[in-house]
Amino acid sequence: MLQHLRELWNYRGLLYQLVLRELKARYKNSVLGFFWSLLNPLGMMLVFGFVFTVMMPNTQLPKFPIFFLCGYLPWQFLSGGVMNSITSVVGNSNLVKKVYFPLEILPISTVLAALVNFLLALAVLFVVLLVTRTRLSPYIWLLPLVIFIQTCFVLGIALFLSALNVFYRDTIMIMDIVMQAWFFLTPVFYPIEILPRSMVVLGMTLDVHRLMYIFNPMASLIAAYRDMLYWGYRTDFDFLLRTALTVFVILIVGYWFFLRVSPRFAEEV
Amino acid sequence: MRAVDDGRPLVDLDRVSKRFIIHLEQQRSFQEAFIRLFQKDRDTGEREFWSLKDVTFSVAKGDCFGIIGPNGSGKSTMLKIISGILQPTSGEVTTRGRIASLLELGSGFHPDLTGRENIFLNASVHGLTRTQVLERLDDIIAFSELGDFIDMPIRHYSSGMYVRLGFAVAIHTEPDLLLVDEVLAVGDASFQLKCLEAIGEFRANGGTLLLVSHDLGTVQAICNRAMWLEDGQVQAVGSPTDVVMAYLNQVAEKHDAEAGARPLPSLEHGRRWGTGKVSISKVELCDVNGTPRRVFVTGATMLVRLTYHAEGRVADPIFGLAIHDQAGTHICGPNSDFGGLHIPYVEGEGVVTYAMPSLPLLEGSYWLSVSTHNREDSEMYDYHDRAYPFRVHRGASRERYGLVALGGAWVAGDGKQGHGT
Repeated sequence: MLQHLRELWNYRGLLYQLVLRELKARYKNSVLGFFWSLLNPLGMMLVFGFVFTVMMPNTQLPKFPIFFLCGYLPWQFLSGGVMNSITSVVGNSNLVKKVYFPLEILPISTVLAALVNFLLALAVLFVVLLVTRTRLSPYIWLLPLVIFIQTCFVLGIALFLSALNVFYRDTIMIMDIVMQAWFFLTPVFYPIEILPRSMVVLGMTLDVHRLMYIFNPMASLIAAYRDMLYWGYRTDFDFLLRTALTVFVILIVGYWFFLRVSPRFAEEV
Repeated sequence: MRAVDDGRPLVDLDRVSKRFIIHLEQQRSFQEAFIRLFQKDRDTGEREFWSLKDVTFSVAKGDCFGIIGPNGSGKSTMLKIISGILQPTSGEVTTRGRIASLLELGSGFHPDLTGRENIFLNASVHGLTRTQVLERLDDIIAFSELGDFIDMPIRHYSSGMYVRLGFAVAIHTEPDLLLVDEVLAVGDASFQLKCLEAIGEFRANGGTLLLVSHDLGTVQAICNRAMWLEDGQVQAVGSPTDVVMAYLNQVAEKHDAEAGARPLPSLEHGRRWGTGKVSISKVELCDVNGTPRRVFVTGATMLVRLTYHAEGRVADPIFGLAIHDQAGTHICGPNSDFGGLHIPYVEGEGVVTYAMPSLPLLEGSYWLSVSTHNREDSEMYDYHDRAYPFRVHRGASRERYGLVALGGAWVAGDGKQGHGT
C-alpha cells in the first residue's frame, strides 16, 4: 500500500488536472460558470429559508436556514462526492483502457472536486454567518480537521463503490435509493433531538442517539459541524476521535478493496 | 530522468500469456449474480480467448522495436501489458524506466477541454507535474502545429489534429520507453516525416521505441529489430527485413492457399498459347534457398525455376521470361539465348533456372511471363502470358522512385578518376 501511495504522489500532477477537469467540465457551457458553486448554496438557503420560515415555520430553532445549511452542505459533499465517483472509473474508460496510471486517482479526483465545491459553499456560509452575526464556536479552528475526516470518509466510500460499480453496474442504481434513505436517516434538516431518546426493540432498550452516532458517521460529522458553526459549542474530542477512527477504517478497507480489484478494470470497463 | 544503461533490457517478457474472458452477456448485475448462486450447472456464458500465448522477448535500451502482424494477433494487448494497463494471466513482465504510450487516437484527452488544457491533462496522465508541463508547453504547441486551434475544444479537431497533439505531448514527456500503436498513419505526410525525425532525435538521446505498425516500410526504415506476432504467438524475431519478408511470404502463401493452388493458365483464357512441343509444366519463384516464394525484396536473390516437359526430343530450345509491372510496362525479357546458355536438346522432364543474384526491381507488384520457343523464334512451344504475380518489397535498399535499381554508384566530381580506392 505504501508503494501505491508513493506512486500516487508521483501522479499528483494528474490528480490536479483531473480535479480541474471535473470542475471545468461541470461549468463548461454555463454562462455564470464557476459562480454556480457559490450561487448553489445561496439558492438552497433561499429555498429552504422560504420553506421553513414561511410555509412550515420551525419555531424551535432560531435561524433555521443556517441550521439547515450546516447539515446540508456536508451532506451535499458526501452525496455529490459518492455519486459522482461511483461512475468515475467506468465513465473514464478511454483513460482506463488506453493509458497506465494509478486508477484510484479517478475516484479521488471526483471526491476532491466535490471537496472544492464544498469549501466554496462553506465560504458562502461564512459570509452568511457574518451577516447574521452568528457567534462562532471558540473551537472553530477544529473545522479543518472535521473537513479532513469527512473527506476521508467520502474517499473510503467512493473508492469502494467505484470499484464495485465496475463489476456490478447496478451499484449506482442501488446507491440512488440508499442515498435517499440515508439522507432522511441523518439529522440534516432536523435536529437529532426530535428522535426518541430510546426505543424498545425486542425487549432491548436501545439508545437511538448513540446508535445513530455509532452507525452513521455522517450524523457524527454533521453534529460536529453544527457544534462549531451553529451552536457555538465546543466539540467533544472523544467524540471526534471515535468518528475519526471509524472513518479511517472505512478508508483503509475501501482503498484496499480498490487496489485489489483495480488490475482487472481495463478488461471490465 | 532516463533509466541507467547497465545492459539489462528495458522491457523483458517471459512466457507471457493473456486470457480474456468474454462475457456473452454484456451487462453484469447483482440480479444475475444472485440467480447464479442457485444454478447448479454454471454455464456462465463465458468464453475464453487467449490473446497472447507464451510470448517471450526483450527490448534493449536504445532499440527501435517494431511489431507487425495481422489484425487481432495480440499486438495491442501486448502493448497494454507492457504499459501496465492490463495484467498478464501468466508469465513475467519486467519494465524499467518511465513509459509513455500512444495507444489510440485521443486517448487521455477530454473532448470538452481545449487543446492547451488537454496538454496539461495528457502530460499529467504520463506522470508529469504541472511545472514540468509548463516548461515544455511552448515546445509541445509548436510541435503540434495547431496554431490558434490550441485554444479550441478538441472535439472540433480532425483526427490528424488529435494525433499531432497526442504525439507532441508523448514525445515531449521524454519517456525512457515510448509505445506507439499504429497512430502515426493518420497524420499527413509532412507530419509523419516530422514524427520520424522526432523519433530519430528521441532515439539519439537514448530513448527506446516500441512500434506497432501495419506499414511494413516504416518498420523497415526506422526499426533495428522487429517481431512478427500472429495468433498471440511470436512467429519471428530479428532484423526487420527478415521478419517482414517472412511475414509477407506467409501472407502470400495464405492468400494462395485460399485462392487454391495456382493452376497453369489454360488455353481458353487466352493467356497461354503455343504448339506444345515443349510445355512448361511448373513455374516457381524461389528465394536464395530454393524455397518457393511470392514476395521478394529488392537486392536479394530471386530464382525463376521452370519445369518443362518435352514431347520427344526437341533440339535447340530457348527458354525466356518477361516481367511486366501493374501498368503493363514491359520491364525486361531475358532468355537463355541472350544469357549465353546453349541447350542442345531437351527430352522428357527437365528444369531450367534463371537466377538473379540481386533483384533490381523496386517495391511493387509485378507479373511474370514465361516462354519456350525454337532457335529462330518462329515456333512458340509454350507461352504463359503474365500468369505469375509476385511482389517486391523494399528491403535494406533505400532506393525509391521508378521500377528498377540500376545499381550505379554516386561519386563526387566528374567521375573520370574511377572510384578512388
